[in-house]
Amino acid sequence: MMTGMERFGALMSGGTPDRVPIVCNLLDQGARELGLSILEYYSRGEHVAEGQLRMREKYGYDTLTGMFYSALEAEVMGCRNIIYADDGPPNVGHLVINAPRDIKRLHVPDDLNEHPRFRELTTCIGLLKKEAQGRFPVLGVVTASFSLPAMLMGVGPWMELFLNGDPALRDELLETCSLFCSRQIAALREAGADLIVYVDPLASATFIQLKKFRELALPWIIRDLEAHGPAGVIFFNGGGRINPILADIREHAGIGAYYLNPYDDITEARALLGSNSLIAGTINDIRLIDWSPDEIEREVEKIMLAGKRAGGFIFGTLLMPCGIPEENIRALVAAAIRHGHHAESVVCR
Amino acid sequence: MSEGIDKQILDSYLTALFDTDKAGALRVVQEALDGGLTPEQVVFEVIIPGMERMIGGMISDNLVTLSQHFLASQIAEEVTDRLIPLFATVPEVQGHVVIGTSHGDFHGLGKKIVIGCLKARMFQVTDLGINVAPEKFVDQALEVGAEVIGISSMMVHTATGERGPKRVRQLLREQGLEDRLRIIVGGAPYRFHENLFREVGADAWGDTAAEVPGIVARLVREVRS
Repeated sequence: MMTGMERFGALMSGGTPDRVPIVCNLLDQGARELGLSILEYYSRGEHVAEGQLRMREKYGYDTLTGMFYSALEAEVMGCRNIIYADDGPPNVGHLVINAPRDIKRLHVPDDLNEHPRFRELTTCIGLLKKEAQGRFPVLGVVTASFSLPAMLMGVGPWMELFLNGDPALRDELLETCSLFCSRQIAALREAGADLIVYVDPLASATFIQLKKFRELALPWIIRDLEAHGPAGVIFFNGGGRINPILADIREHAGIGAYYLNPYDDITEARALLGSNSLIAGTINDIRLIDWSPDEIEREVEKIMLAGKRAGGFIFGTLLMPCGIPEENIRALVAAAIRHGHHAESVVCR
Repeated sequence: MSEGIDKQILDSYLTALFDTDKAGALRVVQEALDGGLTPEQVVFEVIIPGMERMIGGMISDNLVTLSQHFLASQIAEEVTDRLIPLFATVPEVQGHVVIGTSHGDFHGLGKKIVIGCLKARMFQVTDLGINVAPEKFVDQALEVGAEVIGISSMMVHTATGERGPKRVRQLLREQGLEDRLRIIVGGAPYRFHENLFREVGADAWGDTAAEVPGIVARLVREVRS
């Protein structure tokens, strides 16, 4: 039986693993595993690493997620108030940008580890890398420069700026966010992240039309990845549909793996990307809150069937809500293992 | 104004919306007013049809994006606010909605888009802001005499949590207000789970902001009947 790392390695070198690799994005659930509040859990990188290791061991999926919560990036960029909940991810409670002059004041530290919260994150990734012992890839997660401003100034004001605002101000903000994104990729890789999940919801077809994507978002995807290259980067939908933009990203940014939205068609994605890219097909994990094990089984089977036909396939979730019962997480992973096995006659890619 | 010119104006306006060109859209509105369209015609024959095109496909069959919704709603709100005082007769208010994001939720975009759509359809809207306590939804709805409470949630735990719409429903029940007030919800979690609105105690949900005025009109009729 292959390890998670071997499964990803096989896919990335064009081969066929023993079964489809499974990415299960459990984050806040780690607090429950350790009997801590979410605030306590995220206060230390050691806690998060322990939570990730226990959950992977418990459910048996193939990756370790080196991520706390998205708003941590806003903290590093100056957000002074994070709102914690008992049953969900922490939220931005203070917007860093409230006026144009705030954009000029943004500062990206040369060494992101100077920031205590970022240091906890890289500590976590380092521990995961060490404990994984090469058996499971550690995922580092970064928000794209085009989407990060939404956390710094709010989605509405950011949309207003990039659609109809001052282009010079918009580009100044994107320059800063791109520098942050690029430095973050470097720091997460240095800490031990094997793969970088690049999250760009504002660039998705749910937010902007293709023409605007090409004009405004695509150049910044290229820029974000310029320093370190697209190898080992997975483009993550962030909750929006991405099939309409896949071909452009593939052609111009050279990213080799795409994490689809549950509403993106897997067969269509393969046709758009050609045979040389990996595709992660996702289950609508909000439904896992109340689906029965039989319903989960049927849904997983359907996704796996489409994925195995498409080839170069990874099975994944979005960010699993806390309300999903443990037995449904077990049912999900068990079904993914059962339906993810490749018959000998099936050629992966 | 002839039907042909009206169509040209509407087409130009839709093109600007499709391109998310705010300046262009506002220019079409101003030219229409300068060319002799009444404020009522601009609102009911340009702005509202523009918003309604957001339901199901816009000009082409392409996916309608959030940025297009955002712009259509923003212009609708701005233009309607400016032109209503210029109407020949005071328009009939279609109903009153109090709206906010659920407790613990700091994402205000969806709510903002919905407000623009409602105002353009002559609904009175009281914006309670973000991170609104369930008690405030009910208290404010009673204070302003609203028929409908709108609750927006971007995250699963703020949609389904005990301080979200479920608690608002509970308060309405406890205070005997269920005949006087309806609850409509919206936001990302509901789009991934078509029955979630029922599970959180809402009477209805809106998939897109543009369809909300139609749904709210139905809820208002139910309350008033």
